[in-house]
Amino acid sequence: MISRAALMGLVTLAWHGLVRRPTRSGLVVAGVTVAVFLFCTVDAMRTGVERATSRASQETALIVYRQNRFCPFTSALPQYYENAIRKIPGVVSVTPVKIVVSNCRASLDVVTFRGVPSEAFAKDHATHASSDAMANWLKRGDSALIGRELADRRRLKAGDRFTAAGVDAYVAGIMESDAPQDQSSAFVHLPFLQEQSKRGSTGGIVTQFDVRISDPTKLDEVALAIDAQFATDQTPTTTRAETAHVARAATDVIALIGFARLLGFAALAAVFALVANAIVLSMRSRQREVSVLQTLGFGGAHLATLVMVEAMLLGSVGGILGAGASYATVALARTAFTMEGVAIAVPPSIAIATLGLVIAITLSLAAGVVPALIAARQSIVAGFRS
Amino acid sequence: MHTTDAIITCAALEKHYTRGGETVRVLESIDLSLDRGAFVALMGPSGSGKTTLLNLFAGIDRHTAGSLTVDGHDIAHLSRAALAAWRAACVGYIFQLYHLVPVLTAYENVELPLYLQPLSRRERHRRVSEALDSVGIADRYAHYPRQLSGGQEQRVAIARAIVTQPALLLADEPTGDLDRVAAAGVMDLLAHLHRDRGQTIVMVTHDPATAHHAQRTVFLEKGRLLETPEVRR
Ligand SMILES: Nc1ncnc2c1ncn2[C@@H]1O[C@H](COP(=O)(O)OP(=O)(O)O)[C@@H](O)[C@H]1O
Ligand SMILES: [Mg+2]
Repeated sequence: MISRAALMGLVTLAWHGLVRRPTRSGLVVAGVTVAVFLFCTVDAMRTGVERATSRASQETALIVYRQNRFCPFTSALPQYYENAIRKIPGVVSVTPVKIVVSNCRASLDVVTFRGVPSEAFAKDHATHASSDAMANWLKRGDSALIGRELADRRRLKAGDRFTAAGVDAYVAGIMESDAPQDQSSAFVHLPFLQEQSKRGSTGGIVTQFDVRISDPTKLDEVALAIDAQFATDQTPTTTRAETAHVARAATDVIALIGFARLLGFAALAAVFALVANAIVLSMRSRQREVSVLQTLGFGGAHLATLVMVEAMLLGSVGGILGAGASYATVALARTAFTMEGVAIAVPPSIAIATLGLVIAITLSLAAGVVPALIAARQSIVAGFRS
Repeated sequence: MHTTDAIITCAALEKHYTRGGETVRVLESIDLSLDRGAFVALMGPSGSGKTTLLNLFAGIDRHTAGSLTVDGHDIAHLSRAALAAWRAACVGYIFQLYHLVPVLTAYENVELPLYLQPLSRRERHRRVSEALDSVGIADRYAHYPRQLSGGQEQRVAIARAIVTQPALLLADEPTGDLDRVAAAGVMDLLAHLHRDRGQTIVMVTHDPATAHHAQRTVFLEKGRLLETPEVRR
């Protein structure tokens, strides 16, 4: 219906119209950029939370915590529970962990020390750190292996010393692990952390047990068995799947992100309103130009295409800038929410950036439909008399 | 050098507008035949229907009754899209207020109608350059309309109207907004197009001196053709 040459001419005309009216199109593009940035960034947070808190079908990790305690400062369990837990059918491994955090509340800059049994940890995580780093770590009592995210955030490298939460440690090396909890933690020797931590009793007390089981379908069953084991003890336990444990700690953050998501959608609605408004105003002030184009022989389909191309250009330039800025920000900031000792990383995602761009373009095109139809049907003579 | 077949024929042509429930007969029983290759001036007092008649010839407005044939096409029977395609191929229109697209340079304005024709980029470039050269604007390709004088703008607008080599060139008071010197330049240009290229031109004008350039003058008054004093030269 429209020849290639005509389409090329219309794209050129639309492009020049936007670039050579920089103030007007700049404002619209800036608005779209901000909205898409907001949407993509909130969606990246939501994705991080979802990934950390929705149970995977193959999940085999349990966290044993002190019953009715919700913070590493107050959860205290006897280390000797370890042996009892190990004997429960289905349990593959048990790691007693002492956790010390610099801040128990929701925050973006928390240091989480995890005190772990040295030999077992070195064996389990042999692939996550260089052999030098691991050897270094085993050699020194006050040494720490630092998760990649934490290392980047605090700019730490092997050989540094650093202090947080009243614990002073030596950096033996950096740990590369995909698990979000690993990435934002500093792993130290369990006895060292028990000694350093001044709160409550020291030796023989841990914050939690990390339990691995063999059969993912038995997750709930094993959890109940563990809690039953200590139900009548002085320090009863609550055992949850790791994702459920994170989800419980992150309740507030999840609610906040749910709300922020509404803002993200509102921002997208704003994109629609912004582009629609810009195009309606632009076409209204260009009725005469439309009549001139019609006189030159451009038909309804050409004019509708011109308007749609303008809408698409506004949406895609703003979309690319907003989605790109969001991706870069998330990637560079390497943010992780940490609350009550659990961490939720916010991962940069090409898929989310693409989604943001596609939504921006789609909404812009939708915003262009009515003005496009109006332009296509405009009476030439009426346009000249306007 | 012009042949004598008619490029425009209208019989009992009527144009009515309804305004506030009342019918205004802007053009009434127009019978007219204009020769191919002619330079015709259309004169008459303000509001007599000159622009309306020109718009009917251009296919940018539709008549209410009667018949109108332009360059062999019965205008009433063309669809909206077909009419647009016909305009692209057959009609060049020059406005009193130039109506160049403000965000395009002189060159780009002239190039615009050529996008509707199956031409290579190179051929487009050749034709735009030739059109701009022929109106004496060769040194202002990259200027925007706001950077040109009124006379220069109108020259660019003429280049845009003739770049497609239309069978029919229509001009609605092309010098109405220009000073005397610029107006004389534009009239010389139109006369030259007619004389050297055999371009058919129908031009609306107020000014008898301007009408002098034409071979034939047609008078309109209150929507009717005046039989006399039509002048043929
Ligand atoms: N679209 C329209 N609707 C209503 N009246 C119109 C329209 N176009 C022109 N007219 C009327 O038709 C008459 C002739 O207008 P026009 O052809 O512009 O005159 P001229 O060009 O001779 O000055 C005027 O009275 C004008 O108001
Ligand atoms: Mg007029």
